Amino acid sequence: MSELVRLDDTTWELPVAARDDMRVPARVFADAEILAEIEGDLALEQLQNVATLPGIVGAAIAMPDIHQGYGFPVGGIAATELPDGVVSPGGVGYDINCGVRLLALPLSEAELADRREALVHEISRSVPAAGGKETGRGLSERELDSVLREGPRALPGVRADDVERTESEGRLEGADPAAVSERARTRGRAQLGTMGSGNHFVELQMVEDVLDRPAADAFGLEGGQVTVLVHSGSRGLGHQVCTDYVRLLDTQLARYRIHLPDRQLACAPASSSEGRRYLAAMAAAANFAWANRQTIADRVRGAIGRVLGADVADETAQVYDVAHNVAKVETHGGRRVCVHRKGATRAFPAGSDEIPAPYRSVGQPVFIPGSMGTASFVLAGEPAALELSFGTTCHGAGRRLSRTAARKRVQGHELRRELESRGIVVRSPSAKGLAEEAPFAYKDVDRVVRVVERAGLARRVARLVPLGVVKG
Amino acid sequence: MYRFVDHTAELEVELEAETAQGVLLEGLRALAELLGPAEGEVVERAVELSAGDLPALLAAWLDELLYLADVERLVPVHADLVLAGSHLTGVVQARAGEPRPLVKAVTLHRLRLRQENGGWRGRVVLDV
Repeated sequence: MSELVRLDDTTWELPVAARDDMRVPARVFADAEILAEIEGDLALEQLQNVATLPGIVGAAIAMPDIHQGYGFPVGGIAATELPDGVVSPGGVGYDINCGVRLLALPLSEAELADRREALVHEISRSVPAAGGKETGRGLSERELDSVLREGPRALPGVRADDVERTESEGRLEGADPAAVSERARTRGRAQLGTMGSGNHFVELQMVEDVLDRPAADAFGLEGGQVTVLVHSGSRGLGHQVCTDYVRLLDTQLARYRIHLPDRQLACAPASSSEGRRYLAAMAAAANFAWANRQTIADRVRGAIGRVLGADVADETAQVYDVAHNVAKVETHGGRRVCVHRKGATRAFPAGSDEIPAPYRSVGQPVFIPGSMGTASFVLAGEPAALELSFGTTCHGAGRRLSRTAARKRVQGHELRRELESRGIVVRSPSAKGLAEEAPFAYKDVDRVVRVVERAGLARRVARLVPLGVVKG
Repeated sequence: MYRFVDHTAELEVELEAETAQGVLLEGLRALAELLGPAEGEVVERAVELSAGDLPALLAAWLDELLYLADVERLVPVHADLVLAGSHLTGVVQARAGEPRPLVKAVTLHRLRLRQENGGWRGRVVLDV
């Protein structure tokens, strides 16, 4: 895209004049190689579409893991000024509060030794991909209401330190179960504690390298330590909430005199009755997602207890849990804004009172899962994120190949053999699904993370490598 | 006729038939392929849907089938549909099974359903 202007080492911009309908510039964090990949699909055009949203401030921002999505690109950030800037359900996505949670076990890879395969196997037996009568944790109407309102703290026996070490303590304000449709409730009721499919997973890992010792100490991580990373979201409940409100807002555009280049960007003023209702439903779905990852984490602890003993399960600590598909009301530069993060992670710097006390001196933990079989990173938020990206960093490696293209290049069983030859234990219900998530279908996560570090959005704390993968 | 066009992270489905109802049935077949085989008994479910326009009805129709797959574990086989404007009534025949939970949702991105060259064409992008 020829209009791209390089602002500095890691930032490119499409100026507001690039298109008549843009209200703010479209800005991308990248390096030259990543930028070339980004220009290979329609992600930048989609970012320009986001820059047309009424009330958007600063810039429509893309992280280096950006790729083409539907409506909003994946890896995009849009902040709209309140009260009358818009909220767009598509700017959060169907998997509301898809996110990642990291657990740290009190033992090293050497101590785990030959119990690795048994542990991966037990985790795969304990965490189902899909819901159903025998798999999801069935909820009564009243229990579901509590989960939608309160998130993980509504679950019986939940640990206080888990709740404390969760973004927003696992509860978004303003959640209203009444804004969640009966269909969404029906889809969610049997799915609590299930992973879903696609790129969702539970991964057994090892801390390969500590890059920032003080932060790693604060997060309770050391070299060689075994960790578990959980990647899932709000399941059918969130999908239905997004579907319901995209459909509703699509019918209200004329009423609010909103013109959009893409119907999937359907939106309404955040102060309107429809906008407020969506935010209340989205918050409820986000709380459901946190409760879902909590239930999965509890099931993982159960598996750890059965294979490694109850003491090891009890001493397995939650490092943190971050959302990477959500809209939140925050204050930036003295303005109240609704920050849409779609495939992007909040990354507040040291000193923020949004960060749990044990981490406040080092910055908010952020987890960046790489593609299956490659490294993942623990990052910490940095001050420039507040100035440059509404306190946000990337969320993953970012896809570069379609699922079909991935399947054409490798078969599931070949990939399984290749991963197993490297000592990685693999459990997946579908060979096809395995091939679709092949490492080469994603960008190089090391490269993506180096860009956000050079840009000053977040710094690397630890690099994790997989020991076993349980795919949804 | 239906055809999948794969994007970086989403799946686009192109649909073609002689009538608008035919496009909806092609959408059913495309979705059934994505949900995978089902061997259970055939059951029937009544549907009644309205939308602001025909493309939105196509999205609502596929939403309905996705809901049946997610909640009742049903894979659609066929449907008898009556279309009046953008109001749809009919009966879906489906088999019980273990549908693959691949498709999350039906988006409005690049959504289309219209008459072209004497036939009808539809297009829908699925979040997978």
